[in-house]
Amino acid sequence: MNFSWLRRSPASSLPGLVAGLSLIILAVSVFAVIYSEGAGQGLTVDWAPVLSVLKMTFFQAGLSTLLSMTLGLTLAWSLSHQRVFPGRGFLVSLLSVSMVMPTLVAVLGLVSVFGRKGWLSQLADLFGGPGPGTFVYGLTGILLAHVFLNAPFVARALLQRLDRLPPDRLKLSASLGLSPWRQFCIVEWPAVKTSFYALSATVFLLCFTSFAIVLTLGGSPAFNTLEVAIYEAVKLEFDLARAVTLAMVQVLVCAGLVVLASSLRNDDGSLGVVSRVSLWPAPVGARVLQVVTIAIFALFYISPFLAVLWDGALADFGRLLHEAAFHKALVSSLCLATLSSALTVAMALAIGGTKRTLGSPLRVELNWGSRTLSSLLSFSGAIYLAVPSLVLGFGFFLIARKLTADVYLLAPVALLLANCLIALPFALVILAPAMEKSALRYDRLAFALGVRGLARWRLVEWPGLRREIGLVAALSFCFSLGDLGVIALFGNRDFATLPWLLYQKIGSYRTDDAAGIALLLLGLTLAVFFLVPKFFDRGGDA
Amino acid sequence: MLELQGLSYVYQDEQAGYLFDLTAVAGSIVGITGRSGAGKSTCLELIAGFLRPDDGTLKAEGKDILHLPPEQRPVTILFQKDNLFEHLSAQDNVALGINPSLRLNQNQWSVVGQAIAKVGLAHLAKQKAARLSGGEQQRIALARSLVRNKPVLLLDEPFSALDSETRAEMLLLVREIVTERNLTCLMVSHDPNDCSQVADHHVVLKDGRFHLGSEVQAEQRF
Repeated sequence: MNFSWLRRSPASSLPGLVAGLSLIILAVSVFAVIYSEGAGQGLTVDWAPVLSVLKMTFFQAGLSTLLSMTLGLTLAWSLSHQRVFPGRGFLVSLLSVSMVMPTLVAVLGLVSVFGRKGWLSQLADLFGGPGPGTFVYGLTGILLAHVFLNAPFVARALLQRLDRLPPDRLKLSASLGLSPWRQFCIVEWPAVKTSFYALSATVFLLCFTSFAIVLTLGGSPAFNTLEVAIYEAVKLEFDLARAVTLAMVQVLVCAGLVVLASSLRNDDGSLGVVSRVSLWPAPVGARVLQVVTIAIFALFYISPFLAVLWDGALADFGRLLHEAAFHKALVSSLCLATLSSALTVAMALAIGGTKRTLGSPLRVELNWGSRTLSSLLSFSGAIYLAVPSLVLGFGFFLIARKLTADVYLLAPVALLLANCLIALPFALVILAPAMEKSALRYDRLAFALGVRGLARWRLVEWPGLRREIGLVAALSFCFSLGDLGVIALFGNRDFATLPWLLYQKIGSYRTDDAAGIALLLLGLTLAVFFLVPKFFDRGGDA
Repeated sequence: MLELQGLSYVYQDEQAGYLFDLTAVAGSIVGITGRSGAGKSTCLELIAGFLRPDDGTLKAEGKDILHLPPEQRPVTILFQKDNLFEHLSAQDNVALGINPSLRLNQNQWSVVGQAIAKVGLAHLAKQKAARLSGGEQQRIALARSLVRNKPVLLLDEPFSALDSETRAEMLLLVREIVTERNLTCLMVSHDPNDCSQVADHHVVLKDGRFHLGSEVQAEQRF
């Protein structure tokens, strides 16, 4: 009997397989080139400083995670109980901005508020209290910035879970008269537990590989992360052997963390609708705690944004806009971000699509072959979580050195590729489940009606996925726009992006220009992050 | 006319398999009942082409159809849910039954209009499917089966989620269509009453095989 129609998908899954395979090959070659460089140098490295950097990085990341998660959870809990107050919607949507905010812009905003001559110190002078001093630099500064960037998106993610608690459970706990603490333990914590652990791992990874913040706020080598140590070894000390050792340690530790994190990541994803049960007023103590948490957080979170706006508004845009270096950086940044965004969406769709094909009994015969390919594809996307952008950049830097005498010729390509790869794991997390959901729901219907190929894409996939595609496009655009990791190795006088130019302006104390660039970056990020998904969402209705 | 002869299927992780033997004639409705997991849906999926049988033959109108892909089989199937693409309008959903790329000429569109009128929803033709009630969605799916005009109609509990009044209406509508178009209809249901209302024959799936409804009922009496 001829059942060839059961296996008609191989051709359409080719792009995904090719993409996945090249990702794995690329990762292996990056690792190989770093290793062989190290082996070539003899790897006679003094391990003591490497270990002390590692110890400090762990300490810093652990503390940052602890603080971010505590604040994030408290805030999510408070917001889920305080449903009605002016500006709640605004505050909640602003929470997700922390995910895409260019780190250097955040740093500038924080310095403006908490710095030695910042708003807080002016306020302290006014009342004659003790100022913040050098609080914003060193370990405290690093922690402050990490909490600023991570706690909000933790809160956003947890709030999403809490808002979708089955209403009956809340009614039950109210009718049993549970205290807020008991209700948290019995109803709310079990609902967010898995997300909480998965998010902790993610936040730890982000803080562990933190670069821009530690570079600008760390202030002394004592607080260096591995990333910054690699950067300094390559760019300042030209000590490639040391950089290689650090990079290897970094990759190994990150890979371990990713494996650990992925074993935690089994979100059931069974999100219900937002429950509309009006919560019964909690005891006064709990309500005071909630309101105070929200108020202090809002003040802490929003003031750096305002500072960036304020400082930027005072900047001399007339001069900045006439500067050739600025023009070049702006054009490079926009081109790179656009291309990276398009490439990320294309790769995620190809890999996600093939993965979906390989997992569907309607499309292929499920056997060990399809299962192996499928897990290989998942691996190809997730692999770049374990390779921090700076290490990736360093690998590309070494490859470029082998290919051409002028490393900087390949800078745009390396940057584009690196930005795309960094966004890919996030893109897959968003797109792959949506694609699988659409298949689960409509595969049989589409096959029964013969809706396939382009018609299937036009009538079924695009309408179902365009919201997610818009989100991925916006996210990867913003990631690329704000990146300071890879450009730090490749940036030079002839090739700069906006964050790199911003970093140079800060370094040369051109604070006025820096404020202008920061405002522009923030504006671009906010516009893209909020408008692009809307545009995609609406585009298909016409 | 639909003939299943020794059509067998074994799920990978299960020991017991299914063996289907059944002949249904045109213009009649065969009601199929059985406990959940008895293989009711498996049987329809084999006929519709979503599963590949291990052995046996499957004929419609005297022709072997096992080698055909789902969309080329002379079969229309209605699922319990998700019979419509929710983001498309009711009439687009029906139109997909004529052309899967949604490119129809004027005549074809008027055929679509007539089918929607036949199921009594002409006033909702332009509504998004997501806006329709469960009963209305299944009516539109029935309208699509009309324009597809295939001789075999498979119903995989499409009315089980509806309230009893709507369900009775839908059953009558199915009965009318089957008689009018001389279709061969297999209707899976978990409710024997559905069968007694409109089915000409009643079979029960038990232990992976079909039994005549009368036999099983007799068995249960003892």
